[in-house]
Amino acid sequence: MICFKDIIRMVGIIVMSMCAVLISTLFLNYMIDLSGISSLITTVEMQSFYDAQMMTSKVVVGVTGGCLLLTTVITLFFYIKIYIDNHRSELGILKALGYSNYSISKKFSIFGISVFIGTLLGYIIGLLMMNYYYKVQLEDGYLPVFNPSYNIELLIYLVILPTIIFGILSILYTYRKLKRPSLDLIKGTEKIKVKKVKDNDNKVFLEQLKTTTFKEKKSLVFFIGFSVFCFAALIQMGFSMNELASPLMKWMMYIIGIVLSSVTIILAMNTLVRNQRKSIGMMRVFGYQMIECRKYVLDSYRIVAYIGFAFGTIYQYFLLRIMVDVVFKDVEIPEYSFNFKVFFITLGIFLVVYELLIMHYSRKLNKIPIKEIMLDSV
Amino acid sequence: MIRIKNIYKTYGEYNNKVEVLNGVDLNIDDGEFVVILGPSGSGKSTLLNIVSGLEKCDKGSVFYNDIEITSLSDKELTMFRRENIGFIFQQYYLLQNLNVDKNVRMGADLVSNADYKEIIKAVGLDDKLNKYPYELSGGEQQRVSIARALSKKPKVLFLDEPTGALDEKTGRSILDYISKLQKKEKFTIVMITHNENIAEMANTIVKINSGRIIETINNNKPKNAYEIGW
Repeated sequence: MICFKDIIRMVGIIVMSMCAVLISTLFLNYMIDLSGISSLITTVEMQSFYDAQMMTSKVVVGVTGGCLLLTTVITLFFYIKIYIDNHRSELGILKALGYSNYSISKKFSIFGISVFIGTLLGYIIGLLMMNYYYKVQLEDGYLPVFNPSYNIELLIYLVILPTIIFGILSILYTYRKLKRPSLDLIKGTEKIKVKKVKDNDNKVFLEQLKTTTFKEKKSLVFFIGFSVFCFAALIQMGFSMNELASPLMKWMMYIIGIVLSSVTIILAMNTLVRNQRKSIGMMRVFGYQMIECRKYVLDSYRIVAYIGFAFGTIYQYFLLRIMVDVVFKDVEIPEYSFNFKVFFITLGIFLVVYELLIMHYSRKLNKIPIKEIMLDSV
Repeated sequence: MIRIKNIYKTYGEYNNKVEVLNGVDLNIDDGEFVVILGPSGSGKSTLLNIVSGLEKCDKGSVFYNDIEITSLSDKELTMFRRENIGFIFQQYYLLQNLNVDKNVRMGADLVSNADYKEIIKAVGLDDKLNKYPYELSGGEQQRVSIARALSKKPKVLFLDEPTGALDEKTGRSILDYISKLQKKEKFTIVMITHNENIAEMANTIVKINSGRIIETINNNKPKNAYEIGW
């Protein structure tokens, strides 16, 4: 029922879980080894540097690893939902033939394989990068040099456990999704859940559609905002951390920023387009031009993206400010101030990429034949 | 006047090729009520899609007076549908996240029709303006789709098995309303159905099978919705 090709399609999950485990492997392994040399810390300067490195590692693992993990869970659920929607009738037939929800759901544990591939890759890359990472972290000479040790527990916590947990989550989520009558699945006649949005009698159709589309899917608003937030925060932070981080750490921030924001926004846009296919199809049947459909469906999220960018910028500024003022207060580093040059470069990249993405999705919508959209609605 | 000239349409490729329309010719006068009658798979839906500008044909042309819609671009076709065409489908295709009022406004706003509520009243849904499609029965949903189509004041109304999903009583009342309104407003109706009884309401009955028109019948005494069999 579920083949290897389906697993390959989940590149987003593989990449995100890989990034999460790569970061966690490097920083956690370093933290474990660093705590092992605490008895060798003899001076105040060494202690400050030690505390700063410990704190940085905890923040990076907690914030970046945590965000990536959360996004991976949501992406996994999204892929399962898409899979169930696409194979609705086959699943309905299986249920009609007498297969229980559990016996169907347990096959979905195979989705955990994508997490296994990602986490294992992240772990292996982390191990391969370990020596270089330690060298970079210790090159300032504040701390005694030590070599990386192989901590087996990390393999269990970062690879085996997530694979099992994601496999179980896949089963539970599928089980929940399959809890409908088999006929509903076969015919696709399940009751449509519609969130009532306050209707203004004087509002024209397009304005009301815009409001409804926007308010109905708050999760999409969150994801689009979050994706731009991650992009703005991590890219600007990477550029601005000249004296606070090594080139390796900066590159990691760029890569994570790009991966996290790309996967999240593509996921959100695909969901948005998928949700609005029927509305747009019917609007085109009635004679609404594509530009009107785009304006009231896709463009309404632009403001969210801008707000996400603004919050990301503010967040990275205050995070760096705190790091400089609190974490690195006893370490000699240059004065930190807001980097306008980096801000404008990042803003420019964001504007171009976002508009290209909107253009891509409106072209994608435009290319779908009306007949196909209508047949899809049956 | 609608002139349909030598329409061909094929789906699939190579060995899977299916010829759906094989040289269809038909003329429809303004204000006429035409029913295209045929069994499932006869090509009637494809013909309706092509004549209404929803789908392109492989060969042939469709004229609305002097405008050849088969040569229009997608954008021009959309504009043409906006100004001339109304649709009523068997599956209603209402926007589930909008209430009755806004679903009807979808059509009304295209022609700035401020009196659209009169149509909602006429179809008997004025007390359900704020209801959502899932809160309505099949017949009520179809009436919303009728109001949506009529609120844009179409010159030609296309109906694809409009009573296919309805019970007899609701089906008759809907057909009665549409035919009365058509007589009053004088717009053209092109309806496809496989139900021979419904066809008796039309001025012209076009029988189609295997992608060809096999018979065209001029019906001098069209029946009303309560006179036909079901």
